[in-house]
Amino acid sequence: MKRFILLIAVLALASVAGFGQTPAAAPPAPAAPLTTNDVKNIDTPSAADRLKGDPGGALTGTVGDVAVGDAKKGLTVADAINQIGQNKVAINFTWTLITGFLVMFMQAGFAIVETGLCRAKNANHTMMMNFMVYGVGMLAYWLIGFSIQMGGVGGIANLGGIPSLNTEWAITLFGKPFGLFGQHGIFLTQGGTYDVGVMVIFLFQMVFMDTALTIVTGSAAERWKYAAFIVSSFVLGAFIYPLFGNWAWGGGWLANLGGNFGLGKGYCDFAGSGVVHAVGGLSALALSLIVGPRLGKYTRQGKPNAIIGHDIVIVLTGCFILAFGWFGFNPGSTLGASGNGNLRIGSIAVNTMLAGMAGGFGSMLYMWMRYGKPDASMSGNGLLAGLVAITAPSGFVNTVGACIIGLIAGVLVCLSVEFVDKVMKVDDPVGAISVHGTNGLWGVLSVGLFADGKSNYGGSWNGVTGSVTGLFYGDASQLVAQLIGIATLVGLVFTMTFVANLVIDAVIGQRVGAKAELEGLDLPEMGQLGYPEFELKARTAGA
Amino acid sequence: MIYTGILVTLAGFAIAVASLGLTSSVNARLLIVVLGLAVSLFGIIGVINKAYLKNAIWRKQS
Repeated sequence: MKRFILLIAVLALASVAGFGQTPAAAPPAPAAPLTTNDVKNIDTPSAADRLKGDPGGALTGTVGDVAVGDAKKGLTVADAINQIGQNKVAINFTWTLITGFLVMFMQAGFAIVETGLCRAKNANHTMMMNFMVYGVGMLAYWLIGFSIQMGGVGGIANLGGIPSLNTEWAITLFGKPFGLFGQHGIFLTQGGTYDVGVMVIFLFQMVFMDTALTIVTGSAAERWKYAAFIVSSFVLGAFIYPLFGNWAWGGGWLANLGGNFGLGKGYCDFAGSGVVHAVGGLSALALSLIVGPRLGKYTRQGKPNAIIGHDIVIVLTGCFILAFGWFGFNPGSTLGASGNGNLRIGSIAVNTMLAGMAGGFGSMLYMWMRYGKPDASMSGNGLLAGLVAITAPSGFVNTVGACIIGLIAGVLVCLSVEFVDKVMKVDDPVGAISVHGTNGLWGVLSVGLFADGKSNYGGSWNGVTGSVTGLFYGDASQLVAQLIGIATLVGLVFTMTFVANLVIDAVIGQRVGAKAELEGLDLPEMGQLGYPEFELKARTAGA
Repeated sequence: MIYTGILVTLAGFAIAVASLGLTSSVNARLLIVVLGLAVSLFGIIGVINKAYLKNAIWRKQS
């Protein structure tokens, strides 16, 4: 028996050694150039074979399916090459559209997270804000927002070029052009923008913009006048969000900090920690300041009362829907799956789920250690915080970086909620300021720290050759670019949205009356209860 | 107070952008931008929020 085992071992070693000694394959002979004759001589499945069906899938999608430009000439090399080009763009169109559809579905996640975290007497009002923000934002963006944001982006190679989005309005500062807003794309017809590629990028960018808008509805929930919500959301979707979107993604001045001032690859925000989440979170802060806290949220001494939401089940279900939608948010932001380093989508998707997991753990452990219980709503917010934070760096970091970013986000969201609630005494029923604002800024910052210089999207980013590299991998200037983006968000975007909402407050008023607030906004504002067959009992402070 | 807060917050942004023209040193820009960010945060938390807290609705509750 021992001899037999020895024999097997020797044979196994020999086979391994044999693999190791396999001579290297001879280099392939240079391929002959493809000619039209080669293309014409490719066999096609016979009609008789096709009539039998194709259960194995080997006969479907062959040379017979390549579009021919001139029937008299038959199939040419040019036809084949054109088909390859169209296939690449078709893959990228399909990828971008489907991921955009996923992001659109995040609206449902936001809606039930926010509604579950609010009281039952405001369920209809909170759902309706989340429902109609989709339409209000889309209208604003179609009318003018898209033009401001993307009208001067100057082409998107993954989507076939889109040369018509080529007019950016800029000023000169410090001897360099500062792009401020685009000018093509109003109504998706002006300036040659009735174009298939423009439609794809519009849909994708529109659902991103709507995500930012729906963040605000959470922080102002349970006391926001519905008419004011409509006007405020329109202004944010038409002007404020698109302006920052242009500076970061539309060829504006932040994106060009690298080319113009030597700061890394310019401001880098892969999928929108800053553009979407920080804009939404800072707008949420501005609005929460203006509308003030809910009645009963603070005692006369300023001590905060917990006002518990009515359905933790739909809150956590909504968090799952959002986590699912984030697979559209981050990997979709390559705007393609074929060419230009877009196969990195796998890495981006894994980074996304790892950071969400780490964020959920971070929050749960923090709450468990600090308060003795693993708080469910904060665990959900931790997951979202991790996802928010990884949104900007998802395309530029490795999995270890993603976990660290997510873990920090999970703890940061708890600290931020405490700071906003107890120190600033700003009432944010769903934690939107902390989840999206604080962690959106953290996500932007983390690009400048953790970007590992390994990503390569066609050899450059923001027009600067090379890969995005953060401080921990040797490029301090990238951190400066990120900080300038953060300073712009905090100093300028917050101010714009704050002033706009002050004006709305002066004209139509932002807050409902005390009677309506105490009764619940479903009847006074919407005319219908969210749960008409339930008897709602006041059990919590301010209920 | 609120309008002062708006101006302070905007001033922080202006300081951060000014770093682009004042120097080409990465370290110096880093310092200036962080200073600008601190000024903006002070404008929001230290001035605007403080102004709202002075007249907060919960101070008037019976």
